[in-house]
Amino acid sequence: MQKQSSSEKGSSGALALSVPADVAEASQRQRIIEAMVASCAEKSYRSTTITDIVGHARISRTTFYKRFEDKRACFDATVDYCIEELRATARAAHAIGDPPAEAVRKATVAFLEALSHRPAVAQLLCADATSVDPTVVERYRGLLLPALEGLWDAADMPKPSELDPRLAFGRAQLLIFNQIAAGGSDQLPDLLPEIVYLAVAPFAGHEAAVEQARLAEGKPRRRRAQG
Amino acid sequence: MTDEETDLRMWRLPRGRHGLPRELVTRSQRERLLASVVRVTAAKGYEATTVADILGEAGVGRESFYELFEDKRDCMLAAHRLLVDDLEAKVRQAYAGPGEWPDRLEAALEATLGWFAADPTAAHFTLVELAAVDTVFRTRVRAIFERFVAIVDEGLAEGGPEPDLDGATRLAVAAIMASVYEQVVLDRAAELPALRTELIFELLVPYLGEEEAREHRARAG
Repeated sequence: MQKQSSSEKGSSGALALSVPADVAEASQRQRIIEAMVASCAEKSYRSTTITDIVGHARISRTTFYKRFEDKRACFDATVDYCIEELRATARAAHAIGDPPAEAVRKATVAFLEALSHRPAVAQLLCADATSVDPTVVERYRGLLLPALEGLWDAADMPKPSELDPRLAFGRAQLLIFNQIAAGGSDQLPDLLPEIVYLAVAPFAGHEAAVEQARLAEGKPRRRRAQG
Repeated sequence: MTDEETDLRMWRLPRGRHGLPRELVTRSQRERLLASVVRVTAAKGYEATTVADILGEAGVGRESFYELFEDKRDCMLAAHRLLVDDLEAKVRQAYAGPGEWPDRLEAALEATLGWFAADPTAAHFTLVELAAVDTVFRTRVRAIFERFVAIVDEGLAEGGPEPDLDGATRLAVAAIMASVYEQVVLDRAAELPALRTELIFELLVPYLGEEEAREHRARAG
């Protein structure tokens, strides 16, 4: 875990929804985070410098260091922010009464569509996060998997599958990474059947996952093939 | 691909700068440079690696280097291509072996895990270090995925099952690469072969369903 300066503690990931008392501070954080996303998309995390970030954010170096200890702390906050945004989108996509397999499918569809609309975020989470260091991926796996598991616990479903959710997560991440590298994030919805399968299979088994994957294939705006 | 290149992987893990095995001295300069760039980059990272480092490790002169390669990057790309071609050859060979399709898939899986485990330095260079450099290298790493999907699908067309899921092969290759990547990043590449039994189950489920995949795992044990 990265240390955070005390001034950041109350801002809960700089979410626009939870504006802290110091509005200027929150908006600075927000701008810095957006700048990090933009710069990583432009030239990768490795090549990004503090100068790039402050340039994009139009703030001073001093302001940057008031908000973040260093480039890495800023990157971690950016990852958390992006994940929280995606989680909120996925949560909003399914209704309380949905059967879990259906809720997972809807959440996955919403998640991928949100990613496809934010190419820079997709690039950051799939390419940069994996190259920075393995704990980053561990960190957001820790944010996303419990959310997915929670959908099944709610329905008190026994675990009928031996498939490993951690591996499913790794597979999904790799597929998304490759799809972005191959054709850009607007082609992410092509992956829906596979990703939905991976999201359902470890919890409800192969048969249920195939069924949801087939249902998902009818959903996306872009399709691999008709039918 | 020339014959001299195919021996790169015989140059296994670091034996230290001073302990170069004698037979290597007589090998071609190109081969020594390619082996050298893999080891230096693994140790120092892409940015910090200089042509001088590569020359020092290889025991080759600067002039010879620039006769063979444009620059450090060109040398790294050549080494990367060589390693991936070698991996592909090993996997194809295993996949073309005897047995039913699930057995052959398992042989290909075993060959892949074995390749990465045998030389963690080359594994890191191939999958991790260069992928972080820029989009050209990133595309190269992605191409490994596409090549493996093509290989598995070719074999599937020759006597394999009709998968329950269209993207079964993409899921299979993603499982292998995600597992390999994780272990390599965590410096545990040597433990990869131990994952074979669990992974073959994960690989087969989208093709065959869980019951048949479980039966195969029990047989393969």
